[in-house]
Amino acid sequence: MTRYIIQRLLLLIPVLLGISLVTFGMLRLIPGDPARIMLGEHATAESIARFRESMGLDDPIPVQYVRYLGRLVRGDLGRSIARQEWVTVELAQRLPATIELSLGAMLIASIFGISAGVVAAYKHNSLFDLGTMVGALIGVSVPVFWLGLMLSYVFGFKLHWLPPSARLTVGIQLQTIPAAYNIHLTGGLGSVAMSILNFLSNLYVFDSIVTGNPDALIDSLKHLVLPSVALSTIPMSIIARITRSSLLEVLGMDYIRTARAKGQHERVVLMVHAMKNALLPITTVLGLQFGTLLAGAILTETIFSWPGMGRLVVERILARDYPTVQGAVLVIAVLFVLLNLVVDISYAYLDPRIRYG
Amino acid sequence: MSNPAAQIIPPEESQPPGSSDPALTPSTSRVSSPAPLRQSQAPNSLLQDALRRLKRDKLAIAGLVIIVLFVIAAVFAPLLAPYDPTAQKILLRRQPPSRLHWMGLDEVGRDIFSRLIYGARISLQIGLLSVTLAIVIGSMLGAIAGFVGGWLDDLIMRLMDILLAFPGLLLAIAVVSILGPGLMNMMYAIAFVSIPAYARIMRASVLSVKEQEFVVAARAVGVPTMRILWREILPNSFTPVLVAGTLGIATAILDAAGLSFLGLGARPPTPEWGSMLGEGRGSVFTAPHIVIFPGLAIMLNVLGFNLLGDGLRDALDPRLRM
Repeated sequence: MTRYIIQRLLLLIPVLLGISLVTFGMLRLIPGDPARIMLGEHATAESIARFRESMGLDDPIPVQYVRYLGRLVRGDLGRSIARQEWVTVELAQRLPATIELSLGAMLIASIFGISAGVVAAYKHNSLFDLGTMVGALIGVSVPVFWLGLMLSYVFGFKLHWLPPSARLTVGIQLQTIPAAYNIHLTGGLGSVAMSILNFLSNLYVFDSIVTGNPDALIDSLKHLVLPSVALSTIPMSIIARITRSSLLEVLGMDYIRTARAKGQHERVVLMVHAMKNALLPITTVLGLQFGTLLAGAILTETIFSWPGMGRLVVERILARDYPTVQGAVLVIAVLFVLLNLVVDISYAYLDPRIRYG
Repeated sequence: MSNPAAQIIPPEESQPPGSSDPALTPSTSRVSSPAPLRQSQAPNSLLQDALRRLKRDKLAIAGLVIIVLFVIAAVFAPLLAPYDPTAQKILLRRQPPSRLHWMGLDEVGRDIFSRLIYGARISLQIGLLSVTLAIVIGSMLGAIAGFVGGWLDDLIMRLMDILLAFPGLLLAIAVVSILGPGLMNMMYAIAFVSIPAYARIMRASVLSVKEQEFVVAARAVGVPTMRILWREILPNSFTPVLVAGTLGIATAILDAAGLSFLGLGARPPTPEWGSMLGEGRGSVFTAPHIVIFPGLAIMLNVLGFNLLGDGLRDALDPRLRM
């Protein structure tokens, strides 16, 4: 197993290099002078020259790339043009929102997707089965942004059940974890710990639990529902389909017939005997869907004014703030690759045939 | 050859009582009774077999009907649309559906129904063109990788892996941010991000076909390599690409709508469904009809391609059945 993991980690290196090459290339492939594009039409020749100098745009491309890589290794993604803030700082503020949203969506998608798939497989060819499969097809066909608008219109605006947008109601106070517990750490490790704590504090649900703030907890959960539901439709549909087909396949196997012949209770046959083997493909799909959620979040976040990575990318593309766009694209791609790696490794853990295959 | 699809189907006795409603059998027939693959018939019998399976698949036919309706709308848009899609009746803006304007008027007073009909042209064009472009480039890369093998295979496939490391929509957004917003650039972006998928499918397909007896036979009698690739391998490797392409059109239409919604695709006043949603977004609480209809159009169109794609997959290759 360790050998397999090391092997997979080594294979990661060329992919990560490739990702860095793509994000590096983004800026250089823009037709025209990137400095002029980023600074706008009215920039003076002087400010453009200064900007080119500071970004190192006058050096040969390979030199620029090596310097870019060197900065990446040190965790330096440059400074945002729109905000004059370190890109890493901006990303650290936005990423938790996206993680929270993705986790919410994944939770909804797995609970409802797996249950629907199990029932559909068990009641194969029933009305429920047909309904689930047609529903799943509609689910993958619905534009997420449209569904988001409709949800926020119906449940947010018409029925007033849930807030139609944002992460927290104005007026609800949420303390960061260091502030709530008066934590002040300094020095190398201390500042790293502080950044981690601040990062975690931006996961509002987590923060409100840790800081013991029930009002904020309920409020942030309420805000989380609609965007999570909108984002969950596609993974939910895919999970339902995979669960159904994978369970159907397993239910047709001899050992299931044996289990039934032994007189095992149907529930045990289904949940213990069949599900154990049906879970393998489901795990893969779960992991892969988690990765695609990061992309789906772009549209959902825009609809619900959710201050996450996706919305950041869209805002900054329109503002031509390329360092931030580069950084965000890089972080999302790296997360995507790492998630896929975790899925592969857990898959190998669950199914030994993969390791030795 | 045993039919692997049969293993997916559980034994009839496992069906719980009460679920054998006769009204259901037709629509689920593709799940319950897969036609076995027959290899001993005339050369085109596989295709005929597939067509017969497809005709029996009610969901796939429904998908085909939806697509045909949208194609008719696109082709005959000037005849079918009651109004000019860009003509504005400013005084009547945001008017809800009425007898004169079936789907109402948008935020600047344009007839939504007419815009949707013209929008079918754009969506179908983007879907078809981007997928065709991606299939041509992707299959070429995949075929070369699979056929030639060696370092070229490694190089091409590692490049594809890198592109696959980005979530599709994000990469498309990045490409559009480089090329600049616009309908054509969006189409290129969507085509670009789908290339790796087709390359992978084609490569896998070529790898398996390459080893089959008729290819070995062609080699043995001295048929030139390029001819083997063009005449023997490619036609026999194309089925999975075709299935992926049909489903790919659905994804392309959805992605295009998303990009236009974000303001990165079609520019106003183009009647593109996604940008109609994007422009009408601000009116969702006051005049929801402006947003409801374009969304339904996108969903229905995408559903059509998904239904047909699923049906094609089941008909052409029962092993891939879900």
